[in-house]
Amino acid sequence: MSQDQIDILKRALLREKSARKQAEKILESKSAELFEVNLKLSQANKDLEILLTRTDSQLQGVFENIVDAYVIIDLNGNILKMNDAAVSLLGFLDNKEDFNLLKMVQSNENERVTAAFTKLLETGSITDFHVNIITKTNESKIVHINASVIYDQGIPVAAQGIVRDITKEKEDEVQLIRSESRLSTLILNLDSGVVLEDENRKIVLTNNKFTEIFNIQIPPDSLKGIDCTKASEQNSVLFKDPEAFISRMRAIDAKKEIVIGEELEMKDGRILERNYMPIVNGDQSRGYLWTFKDVTLNRTYRKSLENEKQKYYNIISNMNLGLVEVDKNDVILMVNQSFVNMTGYSKEELIGIKGKDLLPFQEDRELMDEKVIERKKGKTELYELRIQNKQGETKYWLVSGAPNYNINGEFTGSIGINFDITDIKNLQHQKENLLKKLEKSNDELHEYAHVVSHDLKSPLRSINALVSWLRNDNEDKLDEGSLENIALIEATLEKMEQLITDVLQYSSIGAENLEKTEVNINDMLNDLLRILYLPDHIKVNFLNKFPTIHGNRTKLQQLFQNIISNAVKFIDKENGIIEITSEDKGTHFQFSIKDNGIGIDKKFHDKIFKIFHSLKKSKDSTGIGLSIVKKIVELHQGSIWLESEPSVGTTFYFTLKK
Amino acid sequence: MKTLKVLLIEDDMIEVMKLNRAISSLKLPHKIIEANNGEEALELLQVKDNIPDIILLDLNMPKINGIEFLTILKNDETLKYVPTIILTTSSNERDLIACYEIGIAGYVLKPLKYEEYVSKIEKLLEYWSINELKKI
Repeated sequence: MSQDQIDILKRALLREKSARKQAEKILESKSAELFEVNLKLSQANKDLEILLTRTDSQLQGVFENIVDAYVIIDLNGNILKMNDAAVSLLGFLDNKEDFNLLKMVQSNENERVTAAFTKLLETGSITDFHVNIITKTNESKIVHINASVIYDQGIPVAAQGIVRDITKEKEDEVQLIRSESRLSTLILNLDSGVVLEDENRKIVLTNNKFTEIFNIQIPPDSLKGIDCTKASEQNSVLFKDPEAFISRMRAIDAKKEIVIGEELEMKDGRILERNYMPIVNGDQSRGYLWTFKDVTLNRTYRKSLENEKQKYYNIISNMNLGLVEVDKNDVILMVNQSFVNMTGYSKEELIGIKGKDLLPFQEDRELMDEKVIERKKGKTELYELRIQNKQGETKYWLVSGAPNYNINGEFTGSIGINFDITDIKNLQHQKENLLKKLEKSNDELHEYAHVVSHDLKSPLRSINALVSWLRNDNEDKLDEGSLENIALIEATLEKMEQLITDVLQYSSIGAENLEKTEVNINDMLNDLLRILYLPDHIKVNFLNKFPTIHGNRTKLQQLFQNIISNAVKFIDKENGIIEITSEDKGTHFQFSIKDNGIGIDKKFHDKIFKIFHSLKKSKDSTGIGLSIVKKIVELHQGSIWLESEPSVGTTFYFTLKK
Repeated sequence: MKTLKVLLIEDDMIEVMKLNRAISSLKLPHKIIEANNGEEALELLQVKDNIPDIILLDLNMPKINGIEFLTILKNDETLKYVPTIILTTSSNERDLIACYEIGIAGYVLKPLKYEEYVSKIEKLLEYWSINELKKI
């Protein structure tokens, strides 16, 4: 063996030795590594166990603290477990309660619930199931359920579910739908035509009124999407000035600013009011809202209202009545021209002052105060007032005062319409004075008549006495002619006496205040016939019973006496007949006195009632009798007339008020 | 028959003559005192002896007229008991009422005819001569 060989061998051995050592070393480290791994494994195992427990409890926590109601039920629906949210949702007192969940289902939902339950068991889960339930506290709720089946080694044992109360949501949804439909109905039926355009001027929404205003024959719905720029150009022919319409629309469109209350005149005479409103969200244009309203009627109303107003204003300012409006404190607010003329004060002097301080006559201030109070009570009335105008003249006004109210019916003051009745008043005063004077002069005349008659009658008496003495003292000395003359003197005296009596009577009728009573004409006539001189050849016949008259007995008797005496005087027949009748004529009684005397020619019928108009000169006729008759009849609001045939007879008719 | 003292207040001379003649023609014993007007009558009445049984008074007289005289008379404590008869031509009803209001014992109208006058005076005096009167 050579050294080389030995060396080679030696070197190989050495190499083997080191390799072995190295292998040993590797083994050693590997073994240590293995141990470490083992150690780590066991540690990891431990960690896993801890983690598992922790997860479990975490789950429990999640289950308990979950916001939505969480319920586990057995396959018959009995609650096994539930969280607090479920307790409160379902209306339990605590989570220990035993309860079958299916009992909460409203009876009309039974079928749906059964189907859902079957589906749950078959497919292992259900989602988005909505059902109406009645909770333990008797509340009706709509709930949303997601549920799944729990399996134990592939066998379903229970079901778990998340239950959410969506009652409110459902309600909101219904309400939203309702309000949306309300809004769209509102827009659809709005009294204004509405067009909502998007930012490209395409129609988004429009309504019935819009189609109506522009005579569009298709429903508003079908207009959606139409380009308004083009459509309005077509529609421009409807306007009085199509070009102006388009250019204005373009200007608005370009400016994109709110335009309110522009008026457009249409060819057919209608007037539209146009509003424009850009709809902006943030900085972004979302579209434009155009509204159109037909205001033709309003305009016409306003115009005719203005016309009416003008008309009444003209009437008020030009009428002959003074108009004044005052506020609650009687301060003048408004007067018309007539009021200015009537008072003599200018408008400026009147407005703002208290009418009652300036105008009324001193004595009428109290009255004025009274009237102001009456106005406040709401009284309307007519009264007379004296005022003093600026010139200091006293004027009489007839005032019609009425309270004034505002739209809310509150008292705001009053309006007075004043009519100057000074002239009428003066006339009235004049009339009153005249009447007084007349009465006085009538009175004086009456007295005068009596004095005159006395003064005239006294000498007659003296003459009569003297003549009588003359005759008596000289009876044997006077011849027959003288005695006859003396008799003539006496007859003349009698006639004069009668004349005076008649004149006095005639002038007295109406001058005295006649006392009127119920006069029984039957009794009165019977009395009269007893004192009246009736020749034997004349008979007076009453053809019927006579009524009772409201009148003056003395005058009525005189009336009958005069006519009957007249008849007696003029009866020329051998057998004189006077017939008296009466007849009811409603408001009056009509009497007739018929004789068979000489009659009266027609041409004298009117004349005979005139004073001193005796037709026949006779010693006992003064010509006043029938004048007196007429006066008495008129005093009893009647009339008198006659029918007569010469030489046959006369009938006097007269009426007397009942 | 009682003899009456009659005061005639009358301004008309002939009227006075009429009464005197009537009484004498009737052969009546009554005594007539004449006064031409109210004043004169009032003067006369101052003397107690002149106070008559009755007064015949005319209404229409100058100065104090009949009604004024009557008023004075009726306001006099003594004289108001003297019956006063109005003798007048005035048939004015106002006068008649006024007189009765003040207080008169009669109102006689003078008739036109003297014979009727005599007859009225006869009855009037006859009536008053059978009446009892207050002694003054």
